[in-house]
Amino acid sequence: MTVQIEFDSSWQDEFLHRIENDGPWGNWELFKQAVGVEKHLIIPDFEGLQAPSHLPNLTPLPHQLETAKQVIENMNGKAILADEVGLGKTIEAGLILKEYMIRGLVKKVLILVPASLVTQWSYELNSKFFIPAVSQRKSYVWEQCDVVVSSIDTAKRDPHRDIIYKQDYDLIIIDEAHKLKNNKTKNYEFVQSLKKKFCLLLTATPIQNRIEEIFNLVSLLKPGHLGSETAFYEKYKRDARSLNDNEHLKELVNKVMIRNRRADTGIEWTKRHVETIPIAFSPQEKELYEAITELKSEGDWVQTSAFSVMTLQREACSSRESVFYTLKNMLQKKENPTKAFEDQIQYLISKVEAVTTNSKAEKALELIQKIDDKVIIFTEYRATQMYLQWYLKQNGISSVPFRGGFKRGKKDWMRELFQKHAQVLIATEAGGEGINLQFCNHIINFDLPWNPMRLEQRIGRIHRLGQEKDVMIYNFAIQNTVEEHILKLLYEKIELFEKVIGDLDDILTKLDFGSIEDHLIDIFGQSCSEGEMRIKMENLTSMIDLAKDMQKEDSHAAAGNS
Amino acid sequence: MQQLEIHNFLIRYFQANECQITENGPGYLTVQLSIELDKELMNRPFYWHYLEKTGGVANPMKLTLITNPQIAPENIKGEIIHFGSPRLHQIFQSTKKLSSYIRLYENHQNNQQQTPLLPWLCMNVKISYQCDRKRDIFKSIGLQLINGQMVEDFHDRLQNVKLTPKIPDYSFTLSPLVKPKSGLSRIENYLKAVIAEDDHSWAEDARQRWEKDLQLLHHFYEDAEEENESYETEKRALQEQYEPKINISFINGGLFYLTDKAV
Repeated sequence: MTVQIEFDSSWQDEFLHRIENDGPWGNWELFKQAVGVEKHLIIPDFEGLQAPSHLPNLTPLPHQLETAKQVIENMNGKAILADEVGLGKTIEAGLILKEYMIRGLVKKVLILVPASLVTQWSYELNSKFFIPAVSQRKSYVWEQCDVVVSSIDTAKRDPHRDIIYKQDYDLIIIDEAHKLKNNKTKNYEFVQSLKKKFCLLLTATPIQNRIEEIFNLVSLLKPGHLGSETAFYEKYKRDARSLNDNEHLKELVNKVMIRNRRADTGIEWTKRHVETIPIAFSPQEKELYEAITELKSEGDWVQTSAFSVMTLQREACSSRESVFYTLKNMLQKKENPTKAFEDQIQYLISKVEAVTTNSKAEKALELIQKIDDKVIIFTEYRATQMYLQWYLKQNGISSVPFRGGFKRGKKDWMRELFQKHAQVLIATEAGGEGINLQFCNHIINFDLPWNPMRLEQRIGRIHRLGQEKDVMIYNFAIQNTVEEHILKLLYEKIELFEKVIGDLDDILTKLDFGSIEDHLIDIFGQSCSEGEMRIKMENLTSMIDLAKDMQKEDSHAAAGNS
Repeated sequence: MQQLEIHNFLIRYFQANECQITENGPGYLTVQLSIELDKELMNRPFYWHYLEKTGGVANPMKLTLITNPQIAPENIKGEIIHFGSPRLHQIFQSTKKLSSYIRLYENHQNNQQQTPLLPWLCMNVKISYQCDRKRDIFKSIGLQLINGQMVEDFHDRLQNVKLTPKIPDYSFTLSPLVKPKSGLSRIENYLKAVIAEDDHSWAEDARQRWEKDLQLLHHFYEDAEEENESYETEKRALQEQYEPKINISFINGGLFYLTDKAV
């Protein structure tokens, strides 16, 4: 076996030069130290991880270490990391990156993530892994910095794309890689053209639905692993339901994909307790709600308006302020409003003005005082957020606001304020991805989000690794309103609060029924009436039940075979 | 490296560079940097440039390093140093850079007796086996430049010898019969011979992995018309990923003049 040997000769030339010039010569003490350092930094084995000893402030979990080892030793540094949400894919990617950097196998790195996560990725790599990652803001960064974090949308555009193609990357990391499931898109094409020596694709949504998506993602990582396109589709039908149908294919995919599940990690997850708190309207609030509900019968009013009656109904369940804000907007945006329209709005505004108290806010105050600990309140509406802050202050409770639109620095600052000084954090957007609040274990859902997937994100802020207490979730619902109905559907039918969405998705995969998120968005965003909503919801729940039954049968069958 | 080792390493580094340790407490140390070390470590070229242009008084920085936050006083402010911290690795690099080349004499105690000192060429190197994985081997080789004797673990042997940068009294050096240049290539050849003896199944395995992925890749692009750019890119990537290579890189080395019984 002949292996090419590179012999670094630069040292020799300089050495001979110094002999000729009689120096300068180094210091013996430093000389000995340099040898000592080098002996410490030597990597004695091909196997094993060096990274942990370089990261004293990070204690990776066993499944994270195992994943890093697997990727480096058995997958040759090309893998899809598809852990369930909250198990720390970023940590795994960071460990692998660090290991390769320590071993000197990786120097130039490109990290492509959603725009909203760019700063966070570079922050975490710097603070947790001491990797000098830089967020791409100027075009010279591509060439001058070794580890660059950017959004894929920026990277694929001119002039960046051409510069990137000229770089010689050792490792490419792509977060939210499931967005690359379609090989006809510009993004796919862009990533495909990158040179991938080592490559990590991160995705929380497992490649789940279509066999086509699996093929595209794996072929991006390792072309040919699943064969050529024609050969693949000859073997597996394009519309085949899922990966699980074919053992052989599953095995092949598992050679390039790691998926840790919460249940397998052996970590004790704290429990979730969900409590629905029914609240009664005050007479004035009830009047406002009913006045809005009556609008429904006036059909053409609804159609000409960009705002649905249901929006107003839901707002009425939150605060009079949010209703007022919407009404004002309706009046301003309407071109040439008719007299009838103006009167209608004025009538509603008078109802708003008649409301003097907020039953939910009173209940929240009572609950916060009883909990006597940190609490996060989530609301959908900015107006409610502002009102609540004022209201709590009136009653001697300190709170800080939080919005998804805050800049990174402000988010961190608000988090800090909440942790150290305030009792309550009032947030309008759970999508404040990557703000972790596990020092708090009480959530009040003051009202419900349009997209119920957000509920999972809300809870995910505190129910994650590092949470030591059981998590308490309080759902506020005004009795006999649309709100109560929605909550019942979500909570009682599909146990949304207790189940992790990933599980539900896995269940639905069986039926090739699309993701649960799409269904929920459709049900809650597109339905015109409560009735429509209820019927659609019932369809969804029966599908889920069916899938669950099928899953049970499968496991019975499997047990019978063994 | 343990925290205490790091602490002692830092002390020795700064002392060797003639910086004054102003405080050396439990878990921390404060050092007054010399001008040279400020330039070396603090990365403020504009300041030094400005000073040179204006002729102002140099004011090198003080640096406080915390080597063990658990036992360091609470109110102390400074950089926390651990095995993975960039600052420590910067100092590692600096240590290497400042001591790449050396020449020393044995400080023997042969009183008033003319003593010949034999020239030795020393090379400390790192051999790296690299494919998609990597491992290193440290080698310290000494070559006597009179009789051509080659010794391994030379650096360790030197630890028992008293050395000084100035030639001691009543000593004279023997001129090398082997020229340093040819000495270097003797060591190079020796290292290559040692490497050739080693087990290289790692390289064989890597080539197999490479070949396997290459076939998959080829299969994937079979249908495509010829001259596919992605195919060529991926092929290059595979080569960079798997191709086994051996690198010999230098840590440091130099000339040592030793008595005949020294090593």
